[in-house]
Amino acid sequence: MIRYEEATKRYGPGPPALDRLTLEVPAGETCVLVGPSGGGKTTALKMVNRLVEPTSGRVLIDGDDVADADPVTLRRGIGYVIQQVGLFPHLDVAANVATVPRLLGWERRRVDARVDELLELVGLEPATYRHRRPDELSGGQRQRVGVARALAADPPVLLMDEPFGAVDPVTRARLQDEFLRLQRQLRRTVVLVTHDIDEALRLGDRLAVLATGGRLEQYGTPAEVLARPASPFVADFVGAGRTLRRLDLLSAAAAIAPAPAAQPSSPEGPTVAPDATLADVMAALLTGDSDSVGVVDGGSPVGFVTVDSIRAALRHDELARSAENSDAPVELEG
Amino acid sequence: MTDTSVHRRYRSHIDVWHFLVDNRPELWNEAGAHARLVALALLIAVPPAVALGVFAARRPRLAALSVGTAGVIFTIPSLALFALLVAPLGLGTAPAVAALALYSVLPVLRNTVVGLGEVPADAVEAARGMGMTERQALWRVRFPLALPVVVGGVRVAAVTAVGMATVAALVAAGGLGDSIFAGLRAGDETEVLAATVLIAGLALTVDGTLAAVEHRLRKGSALSPRSSEGRRP
Repeated sequence: MIRYEEATKRYGPGPPALDRLTLEVPAGETCVLVGPSGGGKTTALKMVNRLVEPTSGRVLIDGDDVADADPVTLRRGIGYVIQQVGLFPHLDVAANVATVPRLLGWERRRVDARVDELLELVGLEPATYRHRRPDELSGGQRQRVGVARALAADPPVLLMDEPFGAVDPVTRARLQDEFLRLQRQLRRTVVLVTHDIDEALRLGDRLAVLATGGRLEQYGTPAEVLARPASPFVADFVGAGRTLRRLDLLSAAAAIAPAPAAQPSSPEGPTVAPDATLADVMAALLTGDSDSVGVVDGGSPVGFVTVDSIRAALRHDELARSAENSDAPVELEG
Repeated sequence: MTDTSVHRRYRSHIDVWHFLVDNRPELWNEAGAHARLVALALLIAVPPAVALGVFAARRPRLAALSVGTAGVIFTIPSLALFALLVAPLGLGTAPAVAALALYSVLPVLRNTVVGLGEVPADAVEAARGMGMTERQALWRVRFPLALPVVVGGVRVAAVTAVGMATVAALVAAGGLGDSIFAGLRAGDETEVLAATVLIAGLALTVDGTLAAVEHRLRKGSALSPRSSEGRRP
């Protein structure tokens, strides 16, 4: 668990880089710090491993103030994936991945075994890649090595600063998928920085939206941020496409309507599973001839989804979320 | 007229060759002494210059001051520096080596500072962020990455020293300068040329060798902890 308490960073006069950030990242969750540049995202991230010291306030890991820890020991226990990967160009892949285990003085056999295990984990065949140099790798492969290196000593906390920033969109999407797969498997406490709202919505269990001047505008799950932006800034940042994005986060099961009168009881035409996203359902509605899409659970029909039932589901979701956060300031555009 | 000069030059090539062959042992000794002066000077100058460079790399004012000072020394004419050093050190090897060492400081120091400054910032940050101490970051990341540039500095220093060591003959330190000055005194063009050819040869050898080291380091293969194992499937 990571906790920021009024963490503030000032570089000289003027607005602070990070302004009294208070939030808690539960163990095993991914918190994405997102926002435009100048929002203090990287500053906040680097406070965790003390590459940046707060001007005031503090950061705690599992209840212990990081300021009380020896920075070197602290950092060896925290995985760190930096912007532009930062692989050591003079060392091969294996030596890069082995960095922290070697600093910790693991014996060689154990280090070698761990390196192979990690390379497999990130999808790089050890026999092929172990002795490649960073300049012999593609951008995507370098990012994978960067992630493997960060995971080497099995740290409970992982810091990732724009980890998928330096690759093309296709590779990025694949790396994001792999990150989600890894995270489901490993359940690390992750703090991830990105300026890309799509990446944030995709990867984060929680989003912290930071505005210029280092102010936290909203902290919540992707669904909350999309359904109830806490300020015009957040609404603007999340963008006009937020309704469409919400469809990605709701399942068909949430929008099942009773069978429309005009429809026969057993669905013909397009059908989806209950855990399909509403975005898939919407696509089926738009491409098919029918006004409704059947929901089929393991062969047996469950019900139908129509445009009206989707609209109702979105409204219901919004109401449910505003009830959850009734104490939070809510200001919607219009 | 043209015929004669062409003829004479042609003959002088032959003479230089004959001179080299006829005086092999003597010239060999002088070349050895020459190389020894250069090697000694580098042995003395390189470690402190690198150490100072490492220390100054993160201290811009010290870096500017030390590189500036070494630069001023570098501009003192060699004859003057040799002469200046005879007063405290007497004649012989000592003032020659001291002067060559002083000249060698600038290229090595400057390249160390520049080389460390050029190390990719992301690699340095990764080193810190993963929990290396300053010392570990220096020896495992920063210095290995700067090493090709440092070797480049040693290369410049060595080639410069080979040339300047010729003047060392004037302070009785020996070397190929002996033959050059003897040839000049006797008006023996052939001897001067023969010694010059050897000095140039020595400089080219030193330059080539260090260039090869530098190239190998730049490729990085010399630094892999497991370079002996196969790198490609």
